[in-house]
Amino acid sequence: MGFDAILGSFAAALHYESIAVILGGVLLGYIVGVIPGLNRAVAIAIAIPLTFYMSAYAAIAFLIGLSKGTAAGSAVSAILLNTPGEPSSAATCLDGYPMASSGKPRKALKVGLLASVIGDLLATLLLIAVAIPFASIALKFGPYELAAILLFALVFIAGMAGGSFLKGLAAGGMGVILGTVGLDPETGAMRLTFGHAELMEGVPILPLVIGTLALAEMFVQLDEYRRNKGGRVITLGKEADDDLSWPEFKGTLPTIFKSTGVGAFVGALPGLGPSVGAFMAYGLAKRTDRDPDSFGKGNPKGIAAAEASDNAVIPASYIPLFGLGIPGSVSAALLVGAFMIHGIQVGPLMLRDHPQMLFTLFSGMIVASLLMLAVGWYGLRIFAKVTSVPAHIVIPVVIFLCLAGIQVQGYGTFGLVTVFAFAIFGYFLKKFDYSFVTFLVAFIVTPMLEMNLRQSVILSGGDIAILLDRPIALAFVIFTVLMALHLGWSSYRQWLRKRLKAPEA
Amino acid sequence: MTANPSIQRKNFWSGLGVAAVAVLLLTWVIPTWGGRGFAVGMHPRTLATLGAWVMLVCALALSLLSAIALLRTREPFVARPDLAGLWHQTWPFLYVLAFIVAIDRLPLTWVAPAMIAGLLLILGERRWHVLALTAAIPTGGLYVLTVHLMRIGVV
Repeated sequence: MGFDAILGSFAAALHYESIAVILGGVLLGYIVGVIPGLNRAVAIAIAIPLTFYMSAYAAIAFLIGLSKGTAAGSAVSAILLNTPGEPSSAATCLDGYPMASSGKPRKALKVGLLASVIGDLLATLLLIAVAIPFASIALKFGPYELAAILLFALVFIAGMAGGSFLKGLAAGGMGVILGTVGLDPETGAMRLTFGHAELMEGVPILPLVIGTLALAEMFVQLDEYRRNKGGRVITLGKEADDDLSWPEFKGTLPTIFKSTGVGAFVGALPGLGPSVGAFMAYGLAKRTDRDPDSFGKGNPKGIAAAEASDNAVIPASYIPLFGLGIPGSVSAALLVGAFMIHGIQVGPLMLRDHPQMLFTLFSGMIVASLLMLAVGWYGLRIFAKVTSVPAHIVIPVVIFLCLAGIQVQGYGTFGLVTVFAFAIFGYFLKKFDYSFVTFLVAFIVTPMLEMNLRQSVILSGGDIAILLDRPIALAFVIFTVLMALHLGWSSYRQWLRKRLKAPEA
Repeated sequence: MTANPSIQRKNFWSGLGVAAVAVLLLTWVIPTWGGRGFAVGMHPRTLATLGAWVMLVCALALSLLSAIALLRTREPFVARPDLAGLWHQTWPFLYVLAFIVAIDRLPLTWVAPAMIAGLLLILGERRWHVLALTAAIPTGGLYVLTVHLMRIGVV
């Protein structure tokens, strides 16, 4: 792809229609992020039906804008309400709320916003620099390598997504089974369709994500609503000393750069997620600061660390997505769903089949980062007011949007029943703490895994010794076994430690 | 693995539940509905069977470890359920299910205001203007969207 084509991609991303779509995504994302209880996954799940009638580029740019907006917006409720809009903003509460309570809410919000934008922008540039060479190498991989990498990614995500490794693997098993539903691509046999023609193309992704992510989340919120009512909202004043000065901001810059590095590293590893990144960066900032005792009492570096890392995780989590086709997070898995709806296979093949679109998307991501700054800076007071929208108004509206999204897409009664069944399923996954990321990623990658496994079996004639001629595939198979043994062993040791401690307690 | 008895109990029962589903999948669902026919490479049922085995092994291990932890701490395997809490967890499902049945028979734009306002009332909202606006704005939005989609020939 020549320099002119890259320039053309930037020009397309800077077209006013493209800017309007991205702005819409960022704005909506910001509002969703600000409202406590609504998270990125819910927002993307209920926004996917809106993107059906957009072009593929506009749909993905809108969803990426939305994803970025929620990450930045969630800091507002964390700082003003001490209630994170996203779980990943919990680290922002630690210093954000004390700073806002001490009469500096605007300063806290501006530090959070600037750290978010810088973290996001730098991680986006890293994505562009890394994903393309990564994808070029991945294009040379055959079915052996891809099957081995996908297996490794699933085990890695099950182990790293938090909670129990056993529950993670069990959730992955559920995802694999659901991913095989539909017509078998080789024999044409109907699999797990129970005679329903609607399932011949597989479990429809939209009712699955809306049910398990959005509707189930609303049921959880309704359950929690009776316990958590009320809460104090800090309002923004006009005091001069509440403004962020250049020397104050300059003091946070080294923390922002360090935390962006932490966030980008965590994001590039599938399954870890922004919460891990934010807390790791916060811990690092506290440990390396000259005055660690000031953390937790309103230190702006605490806000900067958590926000820069939280926002850096999102673009970095697209590195395995665009490089290898492996979604490393829930939002990346949802993006794969959106790509599928528009008939595009995300991953290294995009570089070969849709290079123009890939570069336009990257340019659109940079535009989204800049729009995030403008929206956050000028909408500070409005978003501060949005934090006071009570949960009992949000929940019925989101439930309505979930059902409307299914109806508008013409899924009919089958879609409504499916969305309800998956809401029950998602509710139990959340209540019993089974890894949702592993389930969703397994569901999404199963068709690709099956195709590559099948091709490997056919090409090798069932002879496993072929792996000796494929060092990359062999390395990933060994990594997978070692990873499973290591995770199993560390879970067992943890369990043993708790067991030995129990009688003392 | 945590030492908290209520979480251990949850792990134990959820593990048993998942194991039961996996057994059902392996013994009836996959053999009956998993697909048939000759395949050169992998059989259509292979991956689903593998997924079910992973579920079974992990769920049984989870249950076993939790059972050992419960036995060691002499905590009961069954705790009396909080009936009020159980009802509080169940009614939202029944509420949405009732409206799904209604949506199946009537247009969503007719049902939606009642669904939104009804839930708001249950959650304690009594200000009529909040009820009216919260019910009307999303429904109006859906109506406009549907009309637009019909005009451009999508629906």
